[in-house]
Amino acid sequence: MIILLLLAILIVLTAINVPIAVGLGIVAVGAILVTQGAQMLPNLALVMYEGATNFPLLAIPLFIFAGAIMNASSISRRLIALCLAAVGFIRGALAIVTVGVNMFYAEISGSAVADVAATGSILIPAMKKRGYPKAFAAAVCSSAATLAIIIPPSIPMIIYGAMANASIVQLFVAGIVPGVAGGFALMAMAYWLARRNGWPVEEFFSWQKLGRAFLDAFWALFLPLIILGSIFGGFVTATEGAGVAVVAAFLIGAFVYRDIQWRELAKAAIEGASHTAVVMLLVASSALVGVYLTEQKVPQQMAEGILSLTSNKYLVLAILNVFFLLLGLFLHSAAAIILVVPVVMPLVTAVGIDPVHFGLIVTINLGIGQQTPPVASVLMVACSIAKANVWEVTKVNLKFIYVLLAVLLIVTYVPEIPMSLVHFFYR
Amino acid sequence: MTVLTAGRKALDRLLQLILLALMLAITLIVVYSVIMRTSGNAPSWYDEIAAIILCWVTYFGAAYAALKRGHIGFEGLINVMPPPLRIAAVFLGEILVIAFFVLLGWMGMRVLRVLEGDGLVSLPWVPLQLTHSIIPVGATLFILAQLLSLPEYLAQARAGVLGKKDAGEETKEKLE
Repeated sequence: MIILLLLAILIVLTAINVPIAVGLGIVAVGAILVTQGAQMLPNLALVMYEGATNFPLLAIPLFIFAGAIMNASSISRRLIALCLAAVGFIRGALAIVTVGVNMFYAEISGSAVADVAATGSILIPAMKKRGYPKAFAAAVCSSAATLAIIIPPSIPMIIYGAMANASIVQLFVAGIVPGVAGGFALMAMAYWLARRNGWPVEEFFSWQKLGRAFLDAFWALFLPLIILGSIFGGFVTATEGAGVAVVAAFLIGAFVYRDIQWRELAKAAIEGASHTAVVMLLVASSALVGVYLTEQKVPQQMAEGILSLTSNKYLVLAILNVFFLLLGLFLHSAAAIILVVPVVMPLVTAVGIDPVHFGLIVTINLGIGQQTPPVASVLMVACSIAKANVWEVTKVNLKFIYVLLAVLLIVTYVPEIPMSLVHFFYR
Repeated sequence: MTVLTAGRKALDRLLQLILLALMLAITLIVVYSVIMRTSGNAPSWYDEIAAIILCWVTYFGAAYAALKRGHIGFEGLINVMPPPLRIAAVFLGEILVIAFFVLLGWMGMRVLRVLEGDGLVSLPWVPLQLTHSIIPVGATLFILAQLLSLPEYLAQARAGVLGKKDAGEETKEKLE
């Protein structure tokens, strides 16, 4: 009963635009006062401190920082030139390049918002210039950016790993096959649309040009090898891998390409810290509510409630998927993971779902959530770059969202596809 | 320049400098420790200090995000409320947010008193009072940031353009 009341208060607070992190804190203060009394209030400060002192989550600012360094140098421009040299002769080449570049970029950056900002700011104007409708340009950039969080490294996977006590490295490995397959599926959809609408080819194919573009982008292509190689090779943890990413991106930008814009870099580091803080404040205040929920055994009660209806693993997965898709309409992905994952984990383990498999499902699901308005962080960035209306873009974007939904369904119900690599390497 | 804009600029600048320094510190510590570990001399203080800096990034960064009104929330509903209700909702929200941070800061001070004389596990000479001071400091900065950014937030709420890109310009247009 008290739980429902707290939930109602949280919804009212959210409706008047109190930040969700602060709303959770206010609800937790209420819960402490009602159940434990005012003498326990100093716990507020202790838990808010401990909640933010979370070592694995250090990877968040570091991966954002690494992405920022790439944006402040010519790394993304070189990757685009390489993709264009490879597929420029195909109809709808720029749209296919958009997906391809995101597949590369995803191996360095772990944030879809950072990806769409980096690649969209170059490719959306380019597509508009070549006669693509702006709604399509925004849609393909927006959906392709989802690959950033499916292909490792991935910030949502790091947050999930920390919240569910699951191996972040195994989550990363699970994302490889669905991420790459999803990328090719998005390319196929872009190609089909380009054929139907007669969008242009860009340039004739020439081995010489491809070779030159490859050499030009050689060090940029080397980055994923350094980052993922050091993590998967077991030399560093996922968190430390993020530190390696920062240094590698910095060395390549500053000493190989020598074109880092320092002012941009400092600005991006500060923005990265600010984005980190937004997520971390939520982590800290949800820890506050978490203490209360655990004491009241809410996750266990919820698990028992659903298990009394069904213990069928596939049905439970379907329920959770629908729940997360609905949540994705209204919540940012980080917030959804932080709020919901700790509550549903007892249910997930009770029906025998592998926490790593579930983490991938949640990640793809919330990747789709970043595409579905009203709250759709990635889509909004693409729309603001393209200066296009959110709903018009969404109409076009639905086709790409269907592709992502198909990936989600396959990953959910054919766990062998993402999990074989995990079993092969780690179990 | 009014006192308000001057104050906002100063706080913005201060927080930017702190955040930049903390980001550099985190990167250097992680990389230094990875390098040292390959030579078998991993520093014992590494995880503890790095996690504490992350906590500091959280609260300095949270104040910075508050100054920019960048925390995750849901503006949609306020924008569609009738104007008088909008203002009331904004004020209620602001009061609650500030009250929460006043309480957090106050409790943070009480915790500091209890921690007197204690040090970190890995580096006992670093007082816990210093590391935990981030809670009252962060809470104070958050309140300051919230107050300094309130007038613009209020103007945007009045015009019904909260959270929209280029809201600043749109507000001006609507107000004119």
